[in-house]
Amino acid sequence: MSIVDKDPAQAINEIQQRFEKAGYICDRHIATSIYLSQKLDKPILVEGPPGVGKTELAKATAELMDADLVRLQCYEGLDESKALYEWKYGKQLLYTQILKEKLGDLLEDAQGIDASMEKLHGFSDQFFSHDFLEARPLLQALTAENQTVLLIDEIDKSDHEFEAYLLEILSDYQITVPEIGTIKAKHKPVVFLTSNNSREMGDALKRRCLHLYIPFPDADREREIIKARVPEIDEKLRNQLVSFVQQLRTQDLKKLPAVSETIDWARTLMLLHADNLDTEMVRNTLNMLLKFEDDIDNMDSEVPKMVTAALKDARR
Amino acid sequence: MSRPLAEFVDMLRHADVPVSIGEAIDAARTIELLGYEDRSLLKGALSQVMAKTEDEMASFDQCFDDFFKIETNLDLGGNLQEQLGDEGSDNGDGPEGSAPQDALDDLQNDMGPQNGEGGGSGGGSGQCEDQPSAEGQGTPSLIDMLESGDRTALTMAMNEAADEVGLGNIVLSTQRGLFTRRIMEAMGLNDVTQEVRDRRNQGEDESADELDRRLNILFEATRDMVDRQLALTAEGKSLEFRQDVLKKVRLSNIETRDFKIMRDLVRKMAKRLTDMNSRVKKVKNRGHLDIRKTMRRNVAYDGILFETHWKQKEKDRPKVMAVCDVSGSVASVARFLLLFLYSMNEVLPNVRSFAFSGDLGEITDLLKDNGPEEAVPAAIDKYGGRSTDYGRAMQDFKDLVFDEIDNRTTVIILGDGRSNGSDPGTDILKDIKKRAKRVIWLNPERKSLWGSGDSEMDRIAPYCTVADTCNSLNKLELVIRDLLKSN
Repeated sequence: MSIVDKDPAQAINEIQQRFEKAGYICDRHIATSIYLSQKLDKPILVEGPPGVGKTELAKATAELMDADLVRLQCYEGLDESKALYEWKYGKQLLYTQILKEKLGDLLEDAQGIDASMEKLHGFSDQFFSHDFLEARPLLQALTAENQTVLLIDEIDKSDHEFEAYLLEILSDYQITVPEIGTIKAKHKPVVFLTSNNSREMGDALKRRCLHLYIPFPDADREREIIKARVPEIDEKLRNQLVSFVQQLRTQDLKKLPAVSETIDWARTLMLLHADNLDTEMVRNTLNMLLKFEDDIDNMDSEVPKMVTAALKDARR
Repeated sequence: MSRPLAEFVDMLRHADVPVSIGEAIDAARTIELLGYEDRSLLKGALSQVMAKTEDEMASFDQCFDDFFKIETNLDLGGNLQEQLGDEGSDNGDGPEGSAPQDALDDLQNDMGPQNGEGGGSGGGSGQCEDQPSAEGQGTPSLIDMLESGDRTALTMAMNEAADEVGLGNIVLSTQRGLFTRRIMEAMGLNDVTQEVRDRRNQGEDESADELDRRLNILFEATRDMVDRQLALTAEGKSLEFRQDVLKKVRLSNIETRDFKIMRDLVRKMAKRLTDMNSRVKKVKNRGHLDIRKTMRRNVAYDGILFETHWKQKEKDRPKVMAVCDVSGSVASVARFLLLFLYSMNEVLPNVRSFAFSGDLGEITDLLKDNGPEEAVPAAIDKYGGRSTDYGRAMQDFKDLVFDEIDNRTTVIILGDGRSNGSDPGTDILKDIKKRAKRVIWLNPERKSLWGSGDSEMDRIAPYCTVADTCNSLNKLELVIRDLLKSN
């Protein structure tokens, strides 16, 4: 990306603008992060509460850079055979059978066992070569011909062992397959790791990454986001609903509503042809924002108060 | 790496942000890229490079603000200084707000017309080029510097002197006077006082007073610098110091204000322990070749052994059930025992926690859903405050989870075993021990007190795999480590 060769402040502004154009509203902090990761060749570890757009950031970056997005979803028990590479056993098997059939022809001129073995050794190395290597997401990202964005999603769900596998990629953009050797990236992918902090990441991993924390957006930013994502919504209603969600986030809830939920809610209200927030409608659609029955019950009595406040807030 | 950055890194490390060498290099590159002009941009960028958790981020923000408020005279480039100068005067009162320069500025302004070109170079643009040249000329004496009001030279001399006497080592506020004096002496205080005396003797009272006045301004600037350095390092150092102490001190003696530090300590400890545990697990996992299964699997491949099958042990996930006494007799310790439970919950997947004084109840969800600051008092509030009844608690525990205890379960009971004379429920404990992998009883009381008064430890201990005293963090760690090792 050529933007980053410009003057830093300008480049960062431009990144921010391009994101905006791509429908991802971000603050300067995030743009700085993208800029730095390009300049320092560093992966970005993105943390923050669920639903603030961590995964979206990677997707938007891919779009912005016109790069392919390779996504690896992490889970407990994920290992290198699913993330890095695997051998194509079937193909290897086929290969041996061909070898077996051709064995007579191949060994025709060899005299004695020693010479035959010597000759066979020449073929055995073929077994573990690139031809039999099944690339999984990480290897795909490294070997891709074009620029890629590698998204390692919810890294906190994986095990400690897997985290250690990643270290080589994260620091040197290469992986080592014992049977073949080291495979270096053709184009260094832009790497995002996301985490909801369900477990603390290791120091070694953190050291290799830039650390970006995305909090819930403030009211202004959230209005912009809604404007970009649900453009058809009326400005008045937009202000009201953002104000309502912002109030909701200050409440004592099991799960606070995220940006993605605000967007869903905005769309729902559009479907209902709403012009203004009103208590009854909010009550009926509260399940778009809150995902626990307890939370919904607890908020029920608060809704009228918050709706009034939201209406007042939007008028200002 | 430039000196200010090195100092900043040092400061961060003191403030519990462990900046590695690699990160420091990245930081240097970042500064190179962005420059110092846009401070908020630089702050945002550096925070991403150097701070890796939310807690660290908070420390970083604090440090950055402090540092760039203070280190105005270092070779950070001109614009920044002006910016900082402005800011200094914006919020500029109190020892934090005003840089040493403010005092020195006074000095310079006082010089009025006579400061000549010296003032020009010092007037807020003390660029890095100035420094080597000034050094090259050989350091002028303090008297000259004071006479000419050369701000740049003075601040430089002040910094050099501060280095010389090791100002970075200041830890205690009582050292302030000492360090101020030492710095002044290193700058040539004696010569100046001598000079003042000489002038007085020669009847040049006016110039003597003037010099004395300027010396006082310098003195105040130096004291400001010492104060700031103290604010920088002392906080961090005392944290390290406090942590060290906290590890050894009896749990009952720890004050509430140390709760947060304690929490971090406990969390680190719990993490270390579980990391160790997972390594042990890994070794066990390898197993050996299962010939039968391997053969059967490879029938399809004409008996060529493509897929090997290894006899593996089941992945051993320790199940832990922890029961914590939160009654009055252990109230002072209970908070930390609960804190420990909380941390175990964070690092081990299968911990179920229970609390009791009279009735016993499960607090797993409570710990899971809340931060320790809320969860721990809530647990004490809910289950504490009643008179201890171990028999009842045992019965409740049995009713709740007896069926779920199996030979992989470790039961940890944290309590003093003082049951107010009622039956401690040893027969239930016996049943539990039979079913569970092991039962560990951790008692905050010393062993010599066991069995005295209403303590039932002598009756309880035979039905535990381990029964031990546990009254400090270090001890707690040892016990748990043994537990995980024997896993």
